[in-house]
Amino acid sequence: MPFDATDIVLSFLKIAVVLGALLNVTPIMVWVERRGSALIQDRPGPNRVGPFGLFQSFADALKFILKEDIIPEQAHKWLYTIAPMFGLLPALTTIAVIPWGLPFRLPAKKLFGHVFFQGDYFFDPIVADVNIGILLIFALASLGVYGIVTAGWASSNKYSLFGAIRASAQMISYELALTLAAVSTLLAAGSLKLTDIVWQQTQYFYIFNVIKIPAWNVFSPSMWLSFVIFVVSAFAETNRLPFDFAEAEAELVAGYHTEYSSMKFALFFMSEYMAMAAMSALVATLYLGGWDIPWWNEPQVWWASVLTMLFFTLKVVAILLVFVWVRWTIPRLKYDILMRLGWKVFLPLAFVNILIVAFFIAKQWI
Amino acid sequence: MFEFAIFFFFAAVAVIFALVVVLHHNPVVGALSLVASFFALAVMYVLLEAPFLAALQVIVYAGAIMVLFLFVIMLLNLQHQPEEPTRPVQQFLGYTSSATFLIGLVYYIVKYAAFTALPAGPFNSDAGLIGAEIFQAYIFPFEMVSILLLAAIVGALLLSSRSVGARAQ
Repeated sequence: MPFDATDIVLSFLKIAVVLGALLNVTPIMVWVERRGSALIQDRPGPNRVGPFGLFQSFADALKFILKEDIIPEQAHKWLYTIAPMFGLLPALTTIAVIPWGLPFRLPAKKLFGHVFFQGDYFFDPIVADVNIGILLIFALASLGVYGIVTAGWASSNKYSLFGAIRASAQMISYELALTLAAVSTLLAAGSLKLTDIVWQQTQYFYIFNVIKIPAWNVFSPSMWLSFVIFVVSAFAETNRLPFDFAEAEAELVAGYHTEYSSMKFALFFMSEYMAMAAMSALVATLYLGGWDIPWWNEPQVWWASVLTMLFFTLKVVAILLVFVWVRWTIPRLKYDILMRLGWKVFLPLAFVNILIVAFFIAKQWI
Repeated sequence: MFEFAIFFFFAAVAVIFALVVVLHHNPVVGALSLVASFFALAVMYVLLEAPFLAALQVIVYAGAIMVLFLFVIMLLNLQHQPEEPTRPVQQFLGYTSSATFLIGLVYYIVKYAAFTALPAGPFNSDAGLIGAEIFQAYIFPFEMVSILLLAAIVGALLLSSRSVGARAQ
């Protein structure tokens, strides 16, 4: 694989953009979550630090850094330290294969005396457009369990261990439903590449030959079941209410991160919100047309690309808000109900859904 | 050059963590090291231009199977206990059989793998291609494996179901 300077510089640029966006998700989402919960529960929420309490997250971050970092006497020192980093890894890496904008042609540009961009350079706003795109996401997401399990075990605290075991059981169970639900979108696009899935959704279909509707997967009747299964499983995968058994505070103190303090705790906090953001980006890509702007055939120029990036961000933000909304609306399920729901409802439904989508494709309805 | 560096780094990671699996006395550390070793192995597949295989390696081995291993180890709640001394016969059998296996493996690799030229062109491991092969050329073995796994699932259910177990006794 030949590398040239442009490739390397642009790759670093893309990585910087994606990581920067992802790292900023946590402070912003913490603020949104606290203000959102206050709005739903009819109370003011954090409103003292800065306008609308916007700087509350910075105060929190400062507090995290300044707090004492405690490692329990009984803990397994190595694993206890590694666990939060392990948890962060999948959340940071899955975002690499998600396309976040329309590819466009870069104009030739002279910089520091030599032609920096070739005239025919195609800028694709995705860090790594690999052939196995979505498989890579599921592969890395399946490693997310280890951070939690290791943390729970290494703390040598019974609440931590309970939380960890519950979380891993839950994540293993819902991973199946999540993956099988996503299969239907792959069937429709005929590819594992997320860019292909998005391109397929940029087309249109007509109802009664009059109403023009973008071919986003969420608008296709064959995908509705898969969409519902995917979104609900996404809640379970990211350990959010109503599925937050890993840290059910009424039963387990704080679950797997009971013993953690200071920056190590902050890392768990960050990985939770980043996993949420990555999952939202995945939902937007698979079902909501990715960066596609409806009823507009985007020309492949830079300003159109920037607009699609904004639109993609908008979709991700909308899904993140739904995450918050659901958290403060639906109470926690019972653990046995959660497992029954996963294995006896969602898994069979996901299989049925694959048959439905395959039937639609065989009939050439999508 | 770049690929060589990646290869040697991850080869070292795979070997070192594999050694930790064997030598470390703590089973949880062992299981987690096996995960790391599997992950390093997946990187080898990527270098061999078989990304599909790499993803499956991580999903199936590092993701699914090792989580179950860890799960079992944690549920058993193993305490630190001194290992029972092994008898000389056991040691002798263990060392000789593993030495035989190692010699056989090295012989096989040297004779058949190392000095034969690789087939020209990139190794095609496209997901669609593999799927078509499985469901056309290899449909019979595929179905046999499915039945085998089904039998294992039914067996596990039978063992874990209390009412059936009670009836059997």
